[in-house]
Amino acid sequence: MGQKIIEYLDERVRIRALMSFLLNEPMPGGSRWAYIPGSMVLFVLIQQFITGMMLAFYYGGTPDHAWDSVNYIDHLTYQGVPVGRLIRGIHYWGSSIMVIAVGIHLLQVFLWGAYKRPREIMWLVGTVLLALTMTAAFSGYLLPWDERAYWGTIVGTNMIGLVPLVGEAIKDAIRGGVGLGALTLSHFFTIHTMILPTLFIILVMLHMVIFRRVGPAGPFSGTPEQNEATKDTFYPRQVLMDSLGMMGVFILILLLAVLRPPGLESVANPSNAAYSPTPAWYFDWIFQLLKMIRPEIVGVVGLPVLIAVVLIFLPFLDKKPVRSPFRRPFSVLSALTVLVSMLVLSLMAENGYKKLVDVDRAAMVQGQVVFNQSGCIGCHTVFEKGGKIGPDLSEEGLVGHSVHWLTVQFVNSKAHFPGSIMPDFTYLTKQQQYDLAMYISSLGRMGWPDPTKAQP
Amino acid sequence: MGEEVTYRVGIPVLGLRGETLGRLEKILFSESRHLVTGLVVRSLESLHMIPLEKVTSVSGTEIRTTLTEQDIRQSSVFDPTQYEEVPPWFFPPGHHIELGALVTIKPLDIREQGEEACRSRRAFMAKSVALLATAIGVSLVVPIGGYIMAAATTPVTDNWRNLGVKLQDLPLDEPVQESFRAVSVSGWMRVPEERSVWLIRHSGAADPWSESEDQKKNLDSPLEKNDSDPRLTVLSPICPHLGCEPQWHKGQKLFICPCHHSIYQLNGNRIGGPAPRPMDQLPVRIAPDGSISVIYEQFAIGIAAKVRLA
Repeated sequence: MGQKIIEYLDERVRIRALMSFLLNEPMPGGSRWAYIPGSMVLFVLIQQFITGMMLAFYYGGTPDHAWDSVNYIDHLTYQGVPVGRLIRGIHYWGSSIMVIAVGIHLLQVFLWGAYKRPREIMWLVGTVLLALTMTAAFSGYLLPWDERAYWGTIVGTNMIGLVPLVGEAIKDAIRGGVGLGALTLSHFFTIHTMILPTLFIILVMLHMVIFRRVGPAGPFSGTPEQNEATKDTFYPRQVLMDSLGMMGVFILILLLAVLRPPGLESVANPSNAAYSPTPAWYFDWIFQLLKMIRPEIVGVVGLPVLIAVVLIFLPFLDKKPVRSPFRRPFSVLSALTVLVSMLVLSLMAENGYKKLVDVDRAAMVQGQVVFNQSGCIGCHTVFEKGGKIGPDLSEEGLVGHSVHWLTVQFVNSKAHFPGSIMPDFTYLTKQQQYDLAMYISSLGRMGWPDPTKAQP
Repeated sequence: MGEEVTYRVGIPVLGLRGETLGRLEKILFSESRHLVTGLVVRSLESLHMIPLEKVTSVSGTEIRTTLTEQDIRQSSVFDPTQYEEVPPWFFPPGHHIELGALVTIKPLDIREQGEEACRSRRAFMAKSVALLATAIGVSLVVPIGGYIMAAATTPVTDNWRNLGVKLQDLPLDEPVQESFRAVSVSGWMRVPEERSVWLIRHSGAADPWSESEDQKKNLDSPLEKNDSDPRLTVLSPICPHLGCEPQWHKGQKLFICPCHHSIYQLNGNRIGGPAPRPMDQLPVRIAPDGSISVIYEQFAIGIAAKVRLA
C-alpha cells in the first residue's frame, strides 16, 4: 500500500527525487551533535505556531475579554486533564526555550566561524530572524492583559518613545494612540499572530534555501579533502540526532509546562501605580543596563543600534577565512565577555526584583477559610467584596511582602504602621498565620474563578 | 568561471607529449566542496584517477594533461565500490557532462562497513526517527484534541428560573408567552438575552389538554418527566422543524409556525406541516404559592427524537 502511494506520487510529483534531494544533503566532516541547534529552533518555532493557533481558538483580543479568555483557557479541562493550562504552558515556555535555542544557534555559528564567506547572506537573514524572535516574545507578553503584561508593555513602548525625532511617532503608531488600550492590544495581536508568523515563514524558508545553495560549513578544522573523506549525508544519522534533540527539548518544555504553569496576574489596572513591572527574563540584562546608563537615551538607542551593527557587519568586517575558534582568540573572547556580562547583568536584575512568595496552594485554600472566619472581610475588600476601613487587598500578593512581614502584620500591625487601627489577631495559631500569609500572597496572582463551571 | 566546461565521455586523454593515455570514463565530484576534483581515465590496464590540477585544457575532442605514462601507471586506481553516481542537479555551476557519469565518494559509513551492514543500520535509524516523530506528534495532537473537545463538551448546567408569574394569574387553556432575561454563556463570554416560553394553564388532570403530546408519545427525558404538572404545560417557543417561532392564533386555537406552516394544537400536537415532532415541552415546578420555575432547554431541530443540546 505504502509502496503504491509512493509509486503514484513519484510518477506525478517525482517524490523520490525530491526526498533524495532533501535528505541526501552532503555533510562535510560527517554528522555531529554540534549541528542540532538550528533544527531545535525550527522545531520550537513550529511548536509555537501550533500551540499559538490553538490559543487563538479561544482568545478574545479586546481589553474587555482578553484576560477572561486567558483565564478561561487556564481552566479548560478535558477528562480531568488541564489541557488549556498545558497548551498555554507549552506556548509560554516554548517562547523562552526558543530564545535560548536561537542564542545557542547564534553562538554555535559564531564559534564555528560559519558566518564567513560564502555564508554572509545566510547570517544576515539569521540576524533578522533573531529580531523577529525577540519581537514575537515582546508582542506576546501583552496578550494576557494582566498587570505584568500591561505595565511591561507600558515600559517597553515608552523606551521606543525615547528615540529622538521619530520615537514618539513610532510609539504612538505601535500603541494606536497616546495611551495603551484596545487598539494597542489589537495591534499587538495582529503583529504577534499575523505579521510575525508570515515573516517567519518567508525568512526561515529563505534561510533554508540559502543553506541548501551554499551547503553546510562543516567542521572548522581539517582540510577539504579530510572533510570530503569523512562525509556523511543529512539522512539518517544527522536526522536521528536532530530528532533526539527535538525529543529532549519537547520533554523539557512539557516538564516546565506541567511543573511550572504560567501564571495570570489580576487584570490590567491602569490606576495601579504601585505595580513595579519586571521584564521577561531574556530582557533582564537590557533592563539592568538601562538602569546604569545615563542619560537613558544612550542606552535605549545606543544598545540596539550597537547590537544590530555588530551582528550585521560581522561577516563583512571579519573577512579572514580562518574559522577555528582557537585561532580567533579576540573574536571569541569578546563574544564570551558579552555573554558573561549579559549573564551577570541578568542575575543582578533578577536580584533587584521583589521576590514574590512561592505560594503553597494547599495552605492558600486553608488560608482563605481563616480569612473568612477571622472577620478580615469586615474591614478589607477582596475582589469587590468587603469593608472599606482597611486597604483593598485584591492585589496584595503582587506587593511582594514576605511571609514573615505578613505574619507580623497579622499579630502586631503597629510594628509596621504605628498609627494602625487593625486589631492584633494574636489568637491565630502558627499554622493559621502561615495559611493566611499564603492566601494573602496569592491575592492578585492566582485562584481565579472557574468560568467553565459558574453559570447562574 | 567564464566558459561552460563540457566533459564528453569517451574522448581521448592526452599526456604531456600528446600521446594517448586513455579515454575519459567518469568525472570525480567533491560533494561537500561542490567542485569537480578529478577525472577517471580508462587505460588498457585499468581505471585511473587523475587530479584536475594536471588537466591543462578540455575541449570537445580531447583533454590535454601534464601527465606521462609513468604517472598514469603510478596514479591511484578508481574503486567503483567507494563512489556513487549523483544526479544532474549536483553538477557544479558551469559544468556539463555528456553521456557519462558524475561520481562522488560515498558517505564514510558505507565505505567502512559496506552497503549491506549500512543498509540495516540505516533502517534502524530510520525507524528510530519515525518513532521519535510519532511520539512527539502524538503527545502534541492528543492534548490539542482534548483542548478542542474541552470547550465543545462543556456541560450546560441546569438552572431553575423563577419566571415571576403565578399560576393563579394565568388564563385557563389560553397560551401566554412569558419572556424573561437569561444569560447566554459562550466560553468566557456572558451575554444577557431575552428568552420566552409558552405557558398553558389547565384546570387539572381531568382537562383533556393537560397531558402534552410529548408525554403521550413518551418523548421526554427523565428531567421533563419528573418535573411536570397537570396544571401547567410549558412549551418551548422554538419550532422543531427549522427553529422559527410558532405563533398562537386565538381564533383557530392553534399554534402556526410562520415559516413553513407547521400547525400544532394546544398541547403541542402537530396536526399539519413539515415538523418532525410535537412542540417541545419544558420541565416546570410550581411552588405552593403558585410561582412558576422552568428550565430553559433547547433541543435538536429537524429530527423526530427530542434530543437535548448539550
